[in-house]
Amino acid sequence: MSKIKLILENSIRSLKDSDGRIGLLTQTILLAFLLVLTLTSGSVQHYLADNLDQMLGSDLVIESHTELDKDKIAKLTAMTGELAQTALANITLTHKDRWARARLKLVGANYPLQGTLRLSDGLGTTEQISQNGPKEGDIWIGPRLAARLGLNVGDSLKVGDALLRVDAILLHEPDRIMEGHNVDMRAMVSHTNTTAMLGNDNRALHRYLLAANVPQRAEIEAWVSNNMPAATLIKKHGGQHPLSAFWTRTENFLGLASVLLFFMGAVALDMTNRRWLAKMRYRLALYTSFGTPMKTGITMAVGEWLVTFIATTVAALLLAFAAFGLIIGEMQNIFPGLEANPDFIAAAKTTGLVFLLLLALKAPSFIQLAQSSLLSLIRTQSEGTYIWHRLVFGLLSVSMLAVAYSDNWLLTGMTLFAVVIALALMLLLTWSIVKVGNLWGRHRTGLLPFSFFIAQQRLIAKSAQIMGLGLCGLLLLFTMMLMRDLGGMMESHARTHDGNLLVSQAHEYHVQALEEWAGQTGSSIRTLKPFVSAQLVAINGTKLDDYMQKPSDTLATLKDPIRLSWADQIPENNRLTGGTWWAQDTENWQQISTEPEVMTDMELEFGDRLTYQIEGKSYDFTLVASHAFKSGASSITFWFQVPGIARQHIEAPTRYMGSMELPETAWPALARLWQAHPSLSLAPLKELTERFDRTLAMVTKVTSGYAAMVLLLSLFVLAASVSGFRADDRLKNGLLMSMGFSNRDCLRLNFYDWGITALIAAIGAIAGTWIAGSLIYEEQFGLTYRPDLVWVSATVLMMVSTVCLIGYLACRQSLKVSVRNLIAA
Amino acid sequence: MQNKIELTAISHHFETGTDRIELFNDLSFTVECGETLAIVGPSGAGKSSLLSIAAGLEKPTTGDVRFILDGNIADIRTLRANSGFIFQQFHLMPELDAISNLALPLRLKGNKAAFQLAREWLEKVGLKDRAHHRPHQLSGGEQQRIAIARAFITKPKFIFADEPTGNLDAKTSESVTSLMFECAQETKCGLVIVTHSNRLAVRASHTFRLQGGQLEQAA
Repeated sequence: MSKIKLILENSIRSLKDSDGRIGLLTQTILLAFLLVLTLTSGSVQHYLADNLDQMLGSDLVIESHTELDKDKIAKLTAMTGELAQTALANITLTHKDRWARARLKLVGANYPLQGTLRLSDGLGTTEQISQNGPKEGDIWIGPRLAARLGLNVGDSLKVGDALLRVDAILLHEPDRIMEGHNVDMRAMVSHTNTTAMLGNDNRALHRYLLAANVPQRAEIEAWVSNNMPAATLIKKHGGQHPLSAFWTRTENFLGLASVLLFFMGAVALDMTNRRWLAKMRYRLALYTSFGTPMKTGITMAVGEWLVTFIATTVAALLLAFAAFGLIIGEMQNIFPGLEANPDFIAAAKTTGLVFLLLLALKAPSFIQLAQSSLLSLIRTQSEGTYIWHRLVFGLLSVSMLAVAYSDNWLLTGMTLFAVVIALALMLLLTWSIVKVGNLWGRHRTGLLPFSFFIAQQRLIAKSAQIMGLGLCGLLLLFTMMLMRDLGGMMESHARTHDGNLLVSQAHEYHVQALEEWAGQTGSSIRTLKPFVSAQLVAINGTKLDDYMQKPSDTLATLKDPIRLSWADQIPENNRLTGGTWWAQDTENWQQISTEPEVMTDMELEFGDRLTYQIEGKSYDFTLVASHAFKSGASSITFWFQVPGIARQHIEAPTRYMGSMELPETAWPALARLWQAHPSLSLAPLKELTERFDRTLAMVTKVTSGYAAMVLLLSLFVLAASVSGFRADDRLKNGLLMSMGFSNRDCLRLNFYDWGITALIAAIGAIAGTWIAGSLIYEEQFGLTYRPDLVWVSATVLMMVSTVCLIGYLACRQSLKVSVRNLIAA
Repeated sequence: MQNKIELTAISHHFETGTDRIELFNDLSFTVECGETLAIVGPSGAGKSSLLSIAAGLEKPTTGDVRFILDGNIADIRTLRANSGFIFQQFHLMPELDAISNLALPLRLKGNKAAFQLAREWLEKVGLKDRAHHRPHQLSGGEQQRIAIARAFITKPKFIFADEPTGNLDAKTSESVTSLMFECAQETKCGLVIVTHSNRLAVRASHTFRLQGGQLEQAA
């Protein structure tokens, strides 16, 4: 009992000194960050699961980009007995001179299978319940759409060739969950009007809602898997919400951010650990002199660390729950009805993970503690720094976190590669500058040569200090730079896009209409690139669903049809990044090129066989090349490209995407074009800008929060660095003053010391940022890395000044005590 | 019951990277409980190394060291549990006050009356009024008195003292020496002291001089 009390007393005393406080704060921030991530994720997952139960509108949903033929529908109906068909398409609705993009849902006679529809007669009037969808010739529109178009119940609305009557305001659909976090304006019509309204728009999404018992579910599942490779099956029981993969990816991206934060935290902890270790070795040696076994001493040291971890957990939990409440409030904009449902088991698992990570960081210290010797109290002994232990366990810890959280291996790998190179550079610079400086100063007098001499004596500790500060500088600089450039890129992309109207999809017959309309209104078509809609269904004969288990953005995108383009030569806005592009007159049409990011994320290799489903038929292509976007020409580039000759073998309608430039006078005439072609996908620049601004605001909010965390941890590293070396500096200052040097001389020496430290750290940080920028910018964000020298210089100057200023303040503070106390410290 | 440490034909040296420094050769002596033994000699003669070997902290290059406790041969761990140390630098825990420093060894051994006993020992060493003073608030002599009390408080069978008066003036050394020998006599432990001070050495029941690698019994 007395030992436990002693452990507690020691822990409280440790937490009262500056190293203890910095360590506690760092651990608390890291744990709180990961707990917030876990709790938020748990609530979102709970929300998604709850929604899946409540809002699927059926037991099973089959989703496909191609409409099922009569035989398949008959087969499905025979298997279940109850089937409702819906189709969704994005169209432009016009009323007088107003227009709005909306998601039109076409529903069959059986819709909805489960649940009810909620309607009203007008905006703000009483709600009514309906068991069926709209009748033929009627349209129900969402309240926002009604307000945007100025429509009331009873008004007429022309959609394509069909004239429809607004019969009700649509408030709720029982299968709303299938729309996920889509906040597009909505409208609903009867399925019988399909052809009149959509023409041959293959981008329509077809859904088949099925009511099925357990054996029927299994039978349908097997049948869909064998007969509809491009279809997705969503189950109410034991299934996954359509948004769950999206959320896992978001969570994993934040995971990468947490890996970097953890890296910084590890540096701060390593710095505070230096003095902790010296103190504990002394304490253990003393305990041994009382006859206490070394094992007891180490157990007590571990006990003290555990007490600190418990204190960390309590503080982090309080902080995390407060932040969790605030974040859930913010996220209700994305997930309406989301509630704060803390998942305590997940929180405990995260705490366990952080416990293991911190233990891995502390393990070298515990190993070193076992080397404590009573002899050190009798005569001075050299103490190993165990730098390799620290590095190995530190990297092990960061890797464990990366494995647990990151799914984007390319990004994680590149980030860690840049960090490791920067660290190696800083190490090399430190050793070279200090060694050369010492050589230069050997036959010289003065404070600068002395400063190099001292640095040489503390070379290993100095290297650790420089690497820590440099790493923080790197992460801080990179985060700030990325924030600035990403914001700038998004803004400039929105504003400098070719033309002011994006043509996101047009059919052959639309092209003619567009050309005519452009001629009439004085508009010009800037670019129009052809493609066919294709869905990747298998890689090397393995179905896409079975091919990869880890969540990935690329995989999620490939589950929907993509645009497959063709070209004989590499387009002028592309460059070859690997493999061999086909010859211009090639006869081998089954070749394909893709972007390097797709290759990495999907773990593709040249020679792999990619199977696509296009208009219900399968086509195989062999991966032979990879291409990447090159700026300077059109901004439209395709993920997948095949030889021009391949087009002759593919039976599918050609579609186009491109851009147009409209004069001011042409905009009012756009309503006319849409009225005639509602399925023509056009996005005005203004609308794009608004979307970008919304996204930009969200990105800015997330990156600002992240930058604040990085800044906070940088301060901890700086504080730990100053605090960890304070005792050494006090002794050095005391000795100098005892030899007749003035306060001013001590301050000058201190300035040299911190100046050298900060400068090497800054060079390392810039080099690391440059490497990370060159690697990551183009690969991950499609940006060309062009560092702004003025901005980088200013940031470095600020970093060096801050470090020197804090070092100066700490030195001035330590000089306030007497020489005797300085030496005795 | 017999408690003793036997050193037989021990030799010791250490390497400095380029050189090999021979400390002593073929030394033998025995320390028994109830005895006081002083080792004197010039700096660098190897006194502290000899003390470390006797205390089981280091192994000699050659030779044999036997620890006998209660008549049985004991291992180093058992010896450590039954021995205490007094250092030249005092080595009090800076964050603990005087009474907490004194109570520390007892608390580590799970003694519930640690603070009561510490209070009694504080009175015995004449520092009752300094109970709640931290080491930096005490003089060198006061710190060493606390350190001596701390070494004896658990009643060990052997005490090893490395230059216990090396950091003290003559007057303070005298009182600290008296305290140490009184405590050794009271607890009947074996006391091994390494010192430069002849005044201290003459108080011991046996005195050895270590010089030129040889150990001679001083008169």
